Amino acid sequence: MLSRIAHELYWLGRNLTRAEITSRVVDGVFQVELQGATEASPGVVLGWGELLAMLGDGGDAGAMDRAEALERLTLDPQAPTSMRASVERAREGARTVRDVISADMWEAINTTALSLRGDDTPAWLAPAGPYLACQYVKERVALVWGLSDRTMLRDEAKAFLDAGSYMEAADLVLRMLRIAFPPGDDAAASGQALALLQAVGGFQAYRRAVPAPPNARPVARFLLFERAYPDSVAACVDSVHDALDGADTSPRNSEPVLRLSRLAADLDFQRRTLPDAAEIGATCEAVQQELARVDQDIAERYFAGAQAGRRTTVVEI
Amino acid sequence: MTPESAPITEGYAPRAPFRDELFAEDGTPRPPARALVEALARLGPEGLVAAGRRRDAIFLQQGITFETIGEEGPTRERPFPLDLVPRILTGAEWRTLKQGLAQRIRALNHFVDDVYHGREIVREGIVPWPLIAGRSHFARAVHGIRPPGGVYCHVAGCDLVRDADGTWRVLEDNVRTPSGVSYVLENRGAMARLVPDLFSAYRVRPVDHYPQLLLAALRSVAPSADSEATVVVWTPGPANSAYVEHAVLARQMGVELVEASDLVVRDEVLYMRTTAGLKRVHAVYRRLDDDFVDPLEFRPDSLLGVPGLVRAYRAGTVAIANAFGTGVADDKAVYHYVPEMIRYYLGEEPLLQNVATYLLGDPEVREHVLGRLGELVVKPTGESGGKGVTIGPSASEEELERIARRIEAEPERWIAQEVVHLSTAPTATHDGRLAPRHVDLRPFAVFGERIDIVPGGLTRVALRDGSMIVNSSQGGGSKDTWVLEDGEPDDRAEARLPDPLPPALPDLRYGGWSGQAQQQQQAAGPDAAAEA
Repeated sequence: MLSRIAHELYWLGRNLTRAEITSRVVDGVFQVELQGATEASPGVVLGWGELLAMLGDGGDAGAMDRAEALERLTLDPQAPTSMRASVERAREGARTVRDVISADMWEAINTTALSLRGDDTPAWLAPAGPYLACQYVKERVALVWGLSDRTMLRDEAKAFLDAGSYMEAADLVLRMLRIAFPPGDDAAASGQALALLQAVGGFQAYRRAVPAPPNARPVARFLLFERAYPDSVAACVDSVHDALDGADTSPRNSEPVLRLSRLAADLDFQRRTLPDAAEIGATCEAVQQELARVDQDIAERYFAGAQAGRRTTVVEI
Repeated sequence: MTPESAPITEGYAPRAPFRDELFAEDGTPRPPARALVEALARLGPEGLVAAGRRRDAIFLQQGITFETIGEEGPTRERPFPLDLVPRILTGAEWRTLKQGLAQRIRALNHFVDDVYHGREIVREGIVPWPLIAGRSHFARAVHGIRPPGGVYCHVAGCDLVRDADGTWRVLEDNVRTPSGVSYVLENRGAMARLVPDLFSAYRVRPVDHYPQLLLAALRSVAPSADSEATVVVWTPGPANSAYVEHAVLARQMGVELVEASDLVVRDEVLYMRTTAGLKRVHAVYRRLDDDFVDPLEFRPDSLLGVPGLVRAYRAGTVAIANAFGTGVADDKAVYHYVPEMIRYYLGEEPLLQNVATYLLGDPEVREHVLGRLGELVVKPTGESGGKGVTIGPSASEEELERIARRIEAEPERWIAQEVVHLSTAPTATHDGRLAPRHVDLRPFAVFGERIDIVPGGLTRVALRDGSMIVNSSQGGGSKDTWVLEDGEPDDRAEARLPDPLPPALPDLRYGGWSGQAQQQQQAAGPDAAAEA
């Protein structure tokens, strides 16, 4: 498969997942914000400023009101952090690889982008909050993934699409954890962390998997190490590994595959040995840096060195 | 129901002197179109408008769009305007066209070969050398290179029009990178879904084998001895207006769609960059002009090119379709000589006529043309897509004045042609009624081991009343083009199921559905079982 196409698919997966996770966190944070903090132990705070910082747009977050932040995270076409911008980027990518993904997938992505552009979408936000828009994006992205499972050939192309998707999920969860647990902040680390679970839509899964109340440490461990939870970092690392392992012609000599195997084993080891009192932020940082190196390795081995997000120059002739 | 009383065609009348494709001069449908007009009447204006809305929604959803430049500058995506009233060609008409086109393409191919080798036609004094060498598409870099099989024009599309008296004329030859074939495929698919009823009384020859024809032709010219040839489609990129077509062709042929950044030449061999390293490419169907393909040989500022490609081509390690330098044969000044080429190279009389064309390099001809500028069409030689065309009868005094000055300044860059009375075809207007609009026809030919032409082609239609400019970039639409399996009414059978039904699966007595089916057959009686 062409390096450029693989690169484009990887980023298509990333953008789709980014749109989806953005819609989940926006919806989650909006609900938490609406109700005010619990009186006893404040615990982890996840507000609009934190959210913008997590998605890489924290610059002037302080000067923004809630409506502005909401707009910027959902339907603002200019802000690179918005759901809509992610969907538009996914559409551009899908347009380039429309001969590789199935026609059903392209149509689903295309119509999602087109209806988010529609004239009536601002009305989704005004009376009802972000629920309608977030729900729409969540459903549509789920539709795309469902279609990809049913209609797309399970070849290299699917592997790179999946790899991109899980890389993005792991990256966003790690960013969220690092922002929620700033170094040296004990209050956050000992309080409750329901907000985090609500933000990623994992509250039910947590309740079923972990007997403890949703306090910061068990929640962070759950989001980092719980292999059974699909958006946990460990599960994502496993999935990226499996995808690349299947796509590579000689995975035993593949730098990114080897690095991912080591990282997966390391996460499993930490799950058993990491003392409860260990600082969560520092662990997350180490994992995040390792994932950045994986990303670099992937670009070098499969994408002929193409850099993240940089497209080839196209000239209209 | 008689066609005259049908509301959808009410008030429809061919406009003399133009010939109408579906209606005779007296306003009755031509015999092959009778069933179509009845089906349209059954559909009615409302039905047609509703189908039009469905069409736009589907095209937008599937991204079958083209971009127009709006008033403010930015591009807007719009669904490709497919007119839902098809155009009909009878089997007999098509056979004549097909032979004429094949003849013409063969002659053009000979001409390209000749230009880059012996130049016999120049020595014979038929085509003047300065005219050839002065063309912007003449490619010195490929002199003396003969591609496999001697085929240069692997893909060709000639623009045909029908004059007032019904004769077909060639308006333009496209042997560089003719576009539009994906619309032929998409149009047929859309028609079958949107207005299946129109097909009911006809047997229309299919078009969907085009990608396979193209792939076979590319494989047949690819220099690969040992293994299956690797073929790619080379696109300038997603910003190109025909990108959708490139993607459709690549997908339907099952080959990679590459951009310049994917290709690299090492030691005179072309490779593409893949996730498993470099992979050799044997044949390239390129969809960009010569100028851009190789910065070392053509335009040095091209960002879309692959350095060293021409060298690999010269070494014979890769086939390029269409070959470099073919542009010299679709120049509008060279067009004038095509009938002569056919006589010279093939020793045959041309089956398809040219439109009378004047080359303005000759002072006497120029004098004559400048005197009649208001009656002629003036075109720049090196352009395509209807750019820079001035139609004398509809141009203002100032425009004529301006074009006359430009002709005097650079006579070689312009040609003048007699106005052709482009035929019309009934076309749905916004309220679902039919009105005559001017059409042309671009059939697509594939030249590999032999010449194959897909039945029909792209009928382009000028959607503005009275306009004769059919290019989609200038407000034109398209029509599905039907070539009937045979023109005789007797052969238009009602749609029936194929005659012996396939027998039940033999030797599968146990298990699953077939076992049950057999039991039911046995229960139905001994006769049914015996038949199975």
